[in-house]
Amino acid sequence: MALFEAHQLHLRFGDRVVLEDVSLAFEAGRLSGIMGPNGAGKTTCFNVLTGRYRPDRGRVMFDGADITGRSPQAIARLGIARSFQLMNLFDEFTVFENVAIALPQTRRRGADPIGQAYGDATVVEEAHELLDTVGLGARADHIAKALPYGERRALEIAVALASRPKLLFLDEPTAGLGSDGRARLAELVRRLKGQVTLVVIEHDMEFLFSLADTISVIHWGQVIARGSPDELRTNPWVKNSNLGKLA
Amino acid sequence: MSDAPLLALEGVSKIYRRGLLDRTPAFRLDVDFRIDEPAIVGVMGPNGAGKTTLFEMIAGSNTPTQGRVMVAGHDMQQVRYRERDRLAIHYHQSYQVRRFSRTRPNFMLEPAGSAYPVVHLFDEPQFNTQDGYIGFMLDFFRRLRDERRLVFVCLHPTARLHLELLREICERFFFVGGGSVRPFADFGTIVADADVRRYLGALAD
Repeated sequence: MALFEAHQLHLRFGDRVVLEDVSLAFEAGRLSGIMGPNGAGKTTCFNVLTGRYRPDRGRVMFDGADITGRSPQAIARLGIARSFQLMNLFDEFTVFENVAIALPQTRRRGADPIGQAYGDATVVEEAHELLDTVGLGARADHIAKALPYGERRALEIAVALASRPKLLFLDEPTAGLGSDGRARLAELVRRLKGQVTLVVIEHDMEFLFSLADTISVIHWGQVIARGSPDELRTNPWVKNSNLGKLA
Repeated sequence: MSDAPLLALEGVSKIYRRGLLDRTPAFRLDVDFRIDEPAIVGVMGPNGAGKTTLFEMIAGSNTPTQGRVMVAGHDMQQVRYRERDRLAIHYHQSYQVRRFSRTRPNFMLEPAGSAYPVVHLFDEPQFNTQDGYIGFMLDFFRRLRDERRLVFVCLHPTARLHLELLREICERFFFVGGGSVRPFADFGTIVADADVRRYLGALAD
């Protein structure tokens, strides 16, 4: 059994079928990709997998337990973290503080968690370690809102990693990034591979083709294709697209 | 599933009249055909000729003025509104099932008896050559057919690519125009037809 599985998910909004018979499996330690054109249902699918929407039919299983219909908070406590298309950071806080406050030992503290974080050697060490992982070691003392867009994205991933998740969902991580930012993010995701189970939802085929172990293609609310990047690349239309020429 | 044909339109007409007082037909579409076996069917025709009306009648979201639409042996107008998409599903560009005008309570209607749709109607799917998704879309159509579903792909060709796609993927064709729906056995015969050539204009050459 895979670490995370979705079985025959079905969801309607009113008279619209938005997910039709979607089944997915994400193996532990791998990077699984979900891609599809805009409006294909990727984000809806993501929201069902992470508990924001309850499917009309179907089951979501994590680590052997049925988590269908559990709240996003309950799902997060089981060890699933997610980053969003729209970032949520504490803008006025420093890069270090954003990560420190997300560490489990800090979250358990009551008043003035940040003040205490600076005095706690393990918190300081762990926060810096996470910042090194995402390549922000030299930015620890910068105010979050002053970071360029690509680094904010990296910081958000560090915040998501702070909870030591078993599985990390990244929703459209390249959204809004230029080609440099995209390359740096790909480098970061490559470093994370193997350390944490990753599920990346992405419109950009090239990004996923270079990183994912397996990819599911979603369109019309359904899984229309799945396979390894090498298998999917054999499709003549992919070969002949601009992407195929790059690959 | 029964031995009934996957899809049969029996003496179907859709007539839109000018108004409540002026009963002159403003639009009329007559259609009668049956398809027994799984297939990928291409549908072409000018804008306003009735391609979407045809799809809506098959999906059960538009009521024929006369005749019956039968999907896998079920009269679509007799199937519960929320279960009609278990028989025929209408994808408008990305995904969408049209709103049904509810004229009868659900308890008077029949269950669909199918978990996954039998007929898949793709209305003007967006084919973008840049990103390579086309290949997965075409494979998906083929997979549906191989799983014994009936697939319709409706396109109003505006580029040679659209014709090439129809030629690659579809086994048979319908041309919607002049108030009727005409069947064609293959790509060669539809593009040789005089009406179709007029419709395609420069693309026909």
